Amino acid sequence: MKLRSIIENGLLRFFLICSVISLSGCWDRNEVNDLALITAAGFDMVSDEKIELSVLVFIPKGGGSSDQAMESGNGGASQTLVRSAEGKTVADAMAKLQEKLPRKIFWGHTDVFILDEELAKKGIAGHVDFIMRHPTLRERGQIFVSSQKAKKVLKLMPPLERDLSEVLKELSQHKLGLNITTKKLAQMLIGDSGDCALPWITILPPENKEKPKQTIAYITGTAIFKKDKMIGIIDDSVTRGVLWLRNEILLGVITIKPPKTDGYISVNVLQAQSKLVPKIQNGKWIITLKSVSASDIVQNTTKLDVSNPVVLKSLEPLLAKEIEKRIKKARNQVQEEMKADIFGFAEAFHRKYPDVWNKKKNRWNEIYPNVELKFDTKCHIRRQGLTS
Amino acid sequence: MLEQGKISPVQMALLMIPAIIATVLLLVPSITAKHAHHDLWLSPIWACGTGFFVVFLSYKLNKLFPEKTIIEYSEHALGKILGKLVGGIFLFFYFHATGIMVREYGEFVSGAALFHTPMAVIIGTMVLVCSFAVLGGLEVMGRASEIIVPVVILLYILLFILLIKDLEVKNLFPIMEKGIRPSLMGSIVPQSWYSEFILVSFLLPYVTNQKKGFKWGLIAVFIVLFLMVLTNIMALLLFGNLTSSLTYPVMVAARYISIADFLEHLESIVMAIWIAGTFIKITVFYYVLALGTAQWLKLSDYRPIVLPIGFLILLQGLWAARDLQELSHFLATSGAIYILSIQVVLPFILLLCASIRKKLGQRKGNKQNETPVNH
Amino acid sequence: MVLVEQQTILSKDRLSIHLHDNVKKLESIYADCADIKFRYFLIGNESKAVLIYVDGMSNVEEIDNNLLTPLMRLELEKEPDIHALIENTLTVSNIKEIQTYDDVVSEVSSGNPIILIDHQSKGISAGIPKWEKRSLQEPTTETVVRGPRDGFIETLSTNIVLLRRKIRSPKLKIKSLQIGRYSQTQVVIMYIEGIADQTLIEEVQNRLNRIDIDGILESGYIEEFIKDHPYSPFPLMLDTERPDIAAASLLEGNVVILTDGTPFALIAPTTFYSLLQSPEDYYEGFIIGTLIRWLRYVFLLVALLLPSVYVAILTYHQEMIPTTLLISVAKSREQIPFPALVEALIMEVSFEALREAGIRLPKNIGSAVSIVGALVIGQAAVSAGLVSAPMVMAVAITGIASFLIPRYSASIVLRILRFPIMFLAGTLGLVGIMLALLTIIVHMCTLRSFGVPYLQPLAPIRNSELKDSIIRAPWWSFKKRPHWTDDYNKVRQPNGQQPSPLKGKE
Repeated sequence: MKLRSIIENGLLRFFLICSVISLSGCWDRNEVNDLALITAAGFDMVSDEKIELSVLVFIPKGGGSSDQAMESGNGGASQTLVRSAEGKTVADAMAKLQEKLPRKIFWGHTDVFILDEELAKKGIAGHVDFIMRHPTLRERGQIFVSSQKAKKVLKLMPPLERDLSEVLKELSQHKLGLNITTKKLAQMLIGDSGDCALPWITILPPENKEKPKQTIAYITGTAIFKKDKMIGIIDDSVTRGVLWLRNEILLGVITIKPPKTDGYISVNVLQAQSKLVPKIQNGKWIITLKSVSASDIVQNTTKLDVSNPVVLKSLEPLLAKEIEKRIKKARNQVQEEMKADIFGFAEAFHRKYPDVWNKKKNRWNEIYPNVELKFDTKCHIRRQGLTS
Repeated sequence: MLEQGKISPVQMALLMIPAIIATVLLLVPSITAKHAHHDLWLSPIWACGTGFFVVFLSYKLNKLFPEKTIIEYSEHALGKILGKLVGGIFLFFYFHATGIMVREYGEFVSGAALFHTPMAVIIGTMVLVCSFAVLGGLEVMGRASEIIVPVVILLYILLFILLIKDLEVKNLFPIMEKGIRPSLMGSIVPQSWYSEFILVSFLLPYVTNQKKGFKWGLIAVFIVLFLMVLTNIMALLLFGNLTSSLTYPVMVAARYISIADFLEHLESIVMAIWIAGTFIKITVFYYVLALGTAQWLKLSDYRPIVLPIGFLILLQGLWAARDLQELSHFLATSGAIYILSIQVVLPFILLLCASIRKKLGQRKGNKQNETPVNH
Repeated sequence: MVLVEQQTILSKDRLSIHLHDNVKKLESIYADCADIKFRYFLIGNESKAVLIYVDGMSNVEEIDNNLLTPLMRLELEKEPDIHALIENTLTVSNIKEIQTYDDVVSEVSSGNPIILIDHQSKGISAGIPKWEKRSLQEPTTETVVRGPRDGFIETLSTNIVLLRRKIRSPKLKIKSLQIGRYSQTQVVIMYIEGIADQTLIEEVQNRLNRIDIDGILESGYIEEFIKDHPYSPFPLMLDTERPDIAAASLLEGNVVILTDGTPFALIAPTTFYSLLQSPEDYYEGFIIGTLIRWLRYVFLLVALLLPSVYVAILTYHQEMIPTTLLISVAKSREQIPFPALVEALIMEVSFEALREAGIRLPKNIGSAVSIVGALVIGQAAVSAGLVSAPMVMAVAITGIASFLIPRYSASIVLRILRFPIMFLAGTLGLVGIMLALLTIIVHMCTLRSFGVPYLQPLAPIRNSELKDSIIRAPWWSFKKRPHWTDDYNKVRQPNGQQPSPLKGKE
């Protein structure tokens, strides 16, 4: 009888107990008002021993519904704040940074990490470890390498977007350059070759010289890493070639010059798929890049009649040549000069020839620069636009 | 009988599925990946044999001693003193296992969301909620599982559907790069999880239809197998080599979901799934522990000892390990052998002894050709 | 207690043969009852007789025409005999003999005039009650767009008629009993023989017979006396003002309890899902019925959880919402002096107060209160920086969500449970919400309504009934009745009634 009432009173008692708990304190409670929302973070090298951590803090000024409309009209000019602190490691710097911020640092919304060039040359693995290990940091956060100091980049006030982190996030979503999340970077670092690549950003020269800060940073190329140390930069047109090899191409305009005519034909790549097919033949390591793409003609300044299927067909090999040219350029710079395997050749061989790979993997650094690249490019021009 | 309620075979299966996979789903990819590397998704498949064997064992034992649980019939099979001893070992084991489980829950919650909240509060609230279900009895647990488990499984599968666009099939290869050995090694720990299906032997006496209960037990093993393989494949396709270095790959995977910039950070779904699943899991173990203890001590009702046992579980949870590393190290090494020996070897010995006794009993020419229980 | 016993002994006595004694006793019973009228008259100028009735409860016209006129004009040859009088003289259809004081009292108080005659040990009761009653109106708490507009009223006999008109089969059984020592309220159990389970009917009767109370003024009294789990906040019986709901439940094998003096009928057993159903689900098409049901299920969760989830996310899991949303919330919360939990509590409590005020006030003022409350106070609170705009929105959505639940008794529960969940969300975040949800689920799983699991057909699963809870299947596919207990009349309607163009050609 007594037990029955225990069960039946269960709900009541449970809530009683819970209210006791709630009275005794809320251990992890953090009001939004007490948080410093960090939307981007930058890591700079100060000296050999010290790094500087800069954070972009969002200032939640405004409030009330009527004020908000005005606020957004200002273009968010003064909505952010940059604070920085030095330390031996990122975590150390963060602890010192907290001393300078009245609100609790909140990493949950940090989407962009910027590393400066010096730091990248020194090695990034340790900093990636912090990002992956921290329980609230996002694995989808994007990582960039900047030519200037990260702190300087963070201090920019973009005229169009809310803040710099929004700018970089949107830019990398166009996939014109590399789009590397923390997870992808960590995967590359522990991959078979351990080489990686990160998008390279520089500050866009401001239109208005009087307001030097009203500009953005944008992706101008790719920083190439051997293991976790940066060894070089390639520009954005070469980056396209890298994207083809990594099967990350999303959109792009390719301009070709057909022979025997004046003018150019530009096509817009709409769909592209590429695949690395490795082969070991007579001790020679060969990779074939099989790619299939479909594109539309967007501009035609020649006298060719592109509505004629025969003409279109004759354009396709030209297009393939153009694409191959880009890829070769990328390969020359990255594979032969920098000797960094950012295309995933090592994984491709590992998957296809696990036995050979396990025997030879220690010699990969010697094999890699001599891996031969072959092409199997299929281009298809589907439409010719609305005029003919 | 201490338990008046009856559950349907489906309810039994629904209780068993989370009882196995709830804690496992978060840990299985990283633990199997430690040994199996690329072949981690094969490991649960090798291991599932144990699950089928154990369900078969419990069914056979149940046929020999219908309407009795393992604690009750161990005395009939092994004799009074030895039987009590075996019963005691079982109870101690379940006590220990429940404590570990509760601690795993606490570690996850405090590591993923409530960093500063004292462990005692996190564990205590959960044990309290579980004790309500245990006090409600088997029928209540069965019904609660019918509400909770389908939702949990659907949400879990939804999680993977949302991840599809981020998966890379090439991570699957090469399959069996170093032969079958690594994946077999990786299957040892999952085997110990599958062996928890011996809990079926506690539930079977209260199932309305034992034969169907056996069938649904096997179905439950299949579903567990399916979910484990699914989890492992998804983790592998998403993270590749990174899998083994993540503590909670599924949690990170949920955090990685991003659809249309709005459906982001679904780790809360994982937390909801985990809490709901673990709730059923702890409840089942807790119930078995309470019921078993009452049967072992020959009490007339198990309900008076539920809350005291809950308090002991709370303490055991706090003292089970110093930290997560110690806990997962234990589970991945000596724990596996410990769990397997109690949940597979011991029941097997019981079955052997019981069948020998039965044969002998029949040879003596007794007219009643029933089990030795009734002599 | 002693007094009560004496009274019962006295009233169990049989009527005396002398009118004088009877009148004396009855006058002492009805001492200081100004509304009880004693009309003395002579039958055929000879036999003394008395007519007793309650002023305003009996049809005086009929008394004059059909009782007094024939009796007083009767030409007597011998002592008047009750049987003969009933057979020959009294032109009233509903008439019966009574033998004890108890009968006299109960007949009089139900509005039936009594005639007692000298030298007769029996009396006559004429069933011609008549009192002022409300006309049939559309039930205000359960309105529908499509569906019958009549509702139960306070008079039991009318309510029974309303049901009898819907179910004309003689299998519709009505058992009557009286509850309440002073109120002597008539309570009626209705069921359909052959559909309702016999053990269920007996159980309902037993539980009703066990009630010992001074008076029953509303069916809510009965509900609390016969509830399976007295401490549970969940309603374990369905209450309705609508005869169509009652009739539908009767057809599904439930028992309907009608109480005199209230328009609310009780239906037992009931499940949680039937609390979430509106009669309109069955009157409009099944597709829209299904969608509306799902809408209701979703908003059930919203009504229960939205403020708590808001609190949990804002104080524990800020990373869960998209950055842009968090930024706009952070902006609007910047000047708020309270923690999110306190803010939510203030808003929820004041919302509940507004709602209660709206119910209590006269109708035309009630709407004014809600406008003032919702628009003016809400707007002022936001611009004064006391609460944030998103919080006001969350509370408003919660309020609307709780109005989506068709049963008032069910939405009250959600309103109660919302507050402890909010506290838990404020202490343990989403973990607290999950724990609260699990507790509620476990609690609901322990509940039974007259032996039927509360969450049936989902827990325990009954496949054939899922099509009337998860979805609303078309009418022609409901081939089986709901299954309350083991023994039941399974088949509702034959197979193959799905309409199709082929059928016309046969």
